[in-house]
Amino acid sequence: MDIRKTNNGGKLAVAVIGRVDTSTAPQLEEQLKADYDSCGSVTIDLSEVSYISSAGLRVLLSAHKVMMKKGGLSIIGAKPELMEIFEVTGFSDILDISGAE
Amino acid sequence: MSMIKIEHLRKEYPNVTPLQDVCAEVNKGDVISIIGPSGTGKSTLLRCLNQLETPTSGTVTVDGEVITDPKCDISKVRRKMGMVFQSFNLFANLSIIDNVTAAPVTLLKVPKEQAYREGMELLRRVGLAEKADNFPDELSGGQKQRVAIARAIAMKPEILLFDEPTSALDPTMVGEVLSVIRSLAKEGMTMMIVTHEMKFARDVSTRVFYMDEGGIYEEGSPSEIFESPKKEKTRIFIKRLKQLQLKITSADVDFVSFVSQIEDFGRRNLLSPRAIRNMQLCFEELAVQNILPAVGDEGLPVDITAEYSEQDGTAVMTIAYGGRKYDPLTEGDELSAMMIKKLANSAEFSFDKTNCVTVRFG
Repeated sequence: MDIRKTNNGGKLAVAVIGRVDTSTAPQLEEQLKADYDSCGSVTIDLSEVSYISSAGLRVLLSAHKVMMKKGGLSIIGAKPELMEIFEVTGFSDILDISGAE
Repeated sequence: MSMIKIEHLRKEYPNVTPLQDVCAEVNKGDVISIIGPSGTGKSTLLRCLNQLETPTSGTVTVDGEVITDPKCDISKVRRKMGMVFQSFNLFANLSIIDNVTAAPVTLLKVPKEQAYREGMELLRRVGLAEKADNFPDELSGGQKQRVAIARAIAMKPEILLFDEPTSALDPTMVGEVLSVIRSLAKEGMTMMIVTHEMKFARDVSTRVFYMDEGGIYEEGSPSEIFESPKKEKTRIFIKRLKQLQLKITSADVDFVSFVSQIEDFGRRNLLSPRAIRNMQLCFEELAVQNILPAVGDEGLPVDITAEYSEQDGTAVMTIAYGGRKYDPLTEGDELSAMMIKKLANSAEFSFDKTNCVTVRFG
């Protein structure tokens, strides 16, 4: 998994590339935590993510909880196979998610 | 009464023993398909029946006559058994009609005119009367094989043996040959057919022999063999199952390696990306996230089998483990259990001394 972050005046954009699973989710969590203080809102681009497990979902959920008190968390670019996971787990009702174009 | 009785037939070659101990009976009117993986002695069995191969031991009795007895007149027995080969084996220097009449005239002493008449009738039956004066080289593979069938019937055999009659044919010609065999079956001809055409075997046979492990591993009616095979190897063959077996032997599982083994297995067998992902989720959510932490070292080893059926496109993952009774689907993390239950067609837990979770997809 690769993570690319840009913080543009408090708007944090995070592009994730690869798999978000048991072995990589902690890395994503760490990267997000490092910027919570310096950002007002977070957008996570998952267009290059092919796989997400419950470990990854939990990281997104905790980011959502933190950002709720600030400018919010949006997830963009989720491919259909990822949307399926968000939908069956009900995460698509909790998080602000938009699918791939 | 059985037409052919095979008792403890064994065939050894210097390096390999394709037939270890074959026992079977063939009754008049039987259409027996012989199926199984390559190298399991299917063709060897046919060739031992008409003595193209000499069995190492055992007996074959045809119409009460023990043909494996060295004193037996084998040419007389062979007249009762016609054989159709994969590679046609027509006489290249004889016209089609002469191919059909040669044996009746020379061996059965049938008058030439009668042999011709009967030969033409047979060629009509296989749809090749207008090719009577052509030579084998002028015919397609499918036509040659139909001539070979007509030639075999010309000897009025009591049983026809087919050794992979369509394996050497272009796919477009398989149908015409199978339809000739089908019509023979309808007429009540006794036949044994070594074939890889599963749909044909299922439609046309009265009995099916599945060969493996040096003998007839399982036999039954087409519906028994094709719909509910009882033994493991038959099941794997019929359902065209591809299996991946993984064993977790330490709580410190090499997660990345297991995930990529599932990926490789899926790609090798052309599974959809979604099917591969579902198997990986199954492994991760159930085995890694829940079972291992819950049952600890007592649960080891955890045996994971991923099975994919090329026949119907279904995938099954089973996870078997020891330790205390623990059902990850009800006692485990809710998010994990929900993902698997919703993505799968079914997910079941059972406990009978050991734990087992079976998840079916597709």
